[in-house]
Amino acid sequence: MKPLVVYSPEQVAIELVPAGLGRRFGAFMLDSALIIGATSLAGTLGRALPDAVAGLLVTTAGFLILWGYHFAFELLWNGQTPGKRILYLRVVDGRGLPLDAAQSLVRNVVRMIDMLPLGGVGMLATLLDPHRRRLGDHAADTLVVDEHQPAAVDLAQLQTRRFNSLRTPRIRKIVESRVGLDDRELLYAVCLRAPQLEERARYELFERVSAWYRKELAIEDPNLSAESIVRGIAALCSGQGEDQA
Amino acid sequence: MDLERFVSERRARWNRLRELLDLAQEESLNPALLQELLALYRGASSDLNRARAMTANPELLGSLNQLVGRAYRIVYRGRPRARIDPRALRDFFLRDVPATFRREERIIRLAALAFAAGAVLGMGAVIADPNAGELLVPPQMFTASPKERVEHIERSDERIDTFSKATEFGSYLYTHNIQVSFLTFALGALTLVGGWLLLFYNGVLLGAVATSYFADGAGTFFLAWVGPHGVLELPSIIFAGAAGLRFGRAFLLPGERGRPAALREAFVPAFRMLATSAALLVLAGVIEGSFSQMSSKSVSYPVKISVAAVLFIALCSWLFVGKAKASE
Repeated sequence: MKPLVVYSPEQVAIELVPAGLGRRFGAFMLDSALIIGATSLAGTLGRALPDAVAGLLVTTAGFLILWGYHFAFELLWNGQTPGKRILYLRVVDGRGLPLDAAQSLVRNVVRMIDMLPLGGVGMLATLLDPHRRRLGDHAADTLVVDEHQPAAVDLAQLQTRRFNSLRTPRIRKIVESRVGLDDRELLYAVCLRAPQLEERARYELFERVSAWYRKELAIEDPNLSAESIVRGIAALCSGQGEDQA
Repeated sequence: MDLERFVSERRARWNRLRELLDLAQEESLNPALLQELLALYRGASSDLNRARAMTANPELLGSLNQLVGRAYRIVYRGRPRARIDPRALRDFFLRDVPATFRREERIIRLAALAFAAGAVLGMGAVIADPNAGELLVPPQMFTASPKERVEHIERSDERIDTFSKATEFGSYLYTHNIQVSFLTFALGALTLVGGWLLLFYNGVLLGAVATSYFADGAGTFFLAWVGPHGVLELPSIIFAGAAGLRFGRAFLLPGERGRPAALREAFVPAFRMLATSAALLVLAGVIEGSFSQMSSKSVSYPVKISVAAVLFIALCSWLFVGKAKASE
């Protein structure tokens, strides 16, 4: 999966991150459930209508719901349907702009072909395309982007360490003089991302990082685990370690 | 770069931008807020550039990139959201659509040619061998010989004798036909050849069926029975096919300008042709569900055929004859 890069007039490269197949399928299922629900609701309400118009209205309503659902929501909600909104997806124009009516119509009419053998055509097209576009997206030059808000940088997470055996005057001094901004960023990133890593990868990563700092900062204590060394230095850098003793 | 300082100095502005974007999505902003949004957007853009140059921190870059991307979509949103009002709808059908059809006449002719070629083939096949019709046409359309069918229909009571039957049948027909026109469009848009072949095949069906009615001496019946809705329905399918071909040309053979530019040029004509096709099919469905189904006991053949002729002339003069009023 490769982000599609568009350049704004300010010469800023904006990366449009394509959404994966799984979330799109999930959104499609949610939307389909709503479509089926609305259609059967229309059918039920239709029974209360006089015979003369019931058939006409129910058939027309079913047709409008089936074909108009995606089109109308994508226009009204600027590229989102209820399913897409719940799963943080959005359809955007291939140039990063909002999609317009013609684009929405084209991508949703071509959906007919994408849906062939149980969605096989669309899925295959999606998997073969680096930007995860189905045929309808190709035709309409649109893209479904991931709008999940990435977790903000939260340094407060580092401050949970109560006991820090690195908090000795000697090491603090070395840290102040030898750990630069680049190091700090690396340390924070490792610590903040550790909970999402697989056990083994986490262990190896901390081993490698700590080996470097053991040497660099001359930390001799062999009993300290790799993770406590890295977290300890990170905590020292982020400027806590002064207050709680 | 001092990440903490960078973030803490700017976080308030980013949050304010996010707030304004949420607001802009719901309603249009007043000038003061709009100015503020623009300034914040530019600030965030340069923050993103600086951050990219100085750090690889994925959380920071990801959230900034997303913020700027969202703002970009709102700041550079093309035209304001279209409102549906009756005047715009009237202009669409009386000015924009005719202009588009005149401009796209060549591609419409190409689509009509596919249909006509199919019709000639179907006709030739049935003339050469009267049984060929049964091979070309799906069996459910050949339940009885034309003559038997005519007699059956003309002798028995009206099939559609109530208003509710007419509306129900009519709505079934137009929803089905619009889906066929969508399919024709989609096949043409993606493959060109597929759309052309679908038109060709529809032509074969019509040619074969019509010829077998005429050969059985039921030609007038056929014209009266199919004409009133057929003069709208068949052109609609051709228009949808033409929209597909127009679009497919941009999609598959974009030329030097590249696909995105060619597609953007094709959106408007394809949209107008497809919308016209759908609108005509609704009308055709209503006629097919009621008027076309009436036997000669209620409406005589000449009347039905004249109605068909009038509809066809009206359609052609609306879309093709004369000079179109200027479209934007």
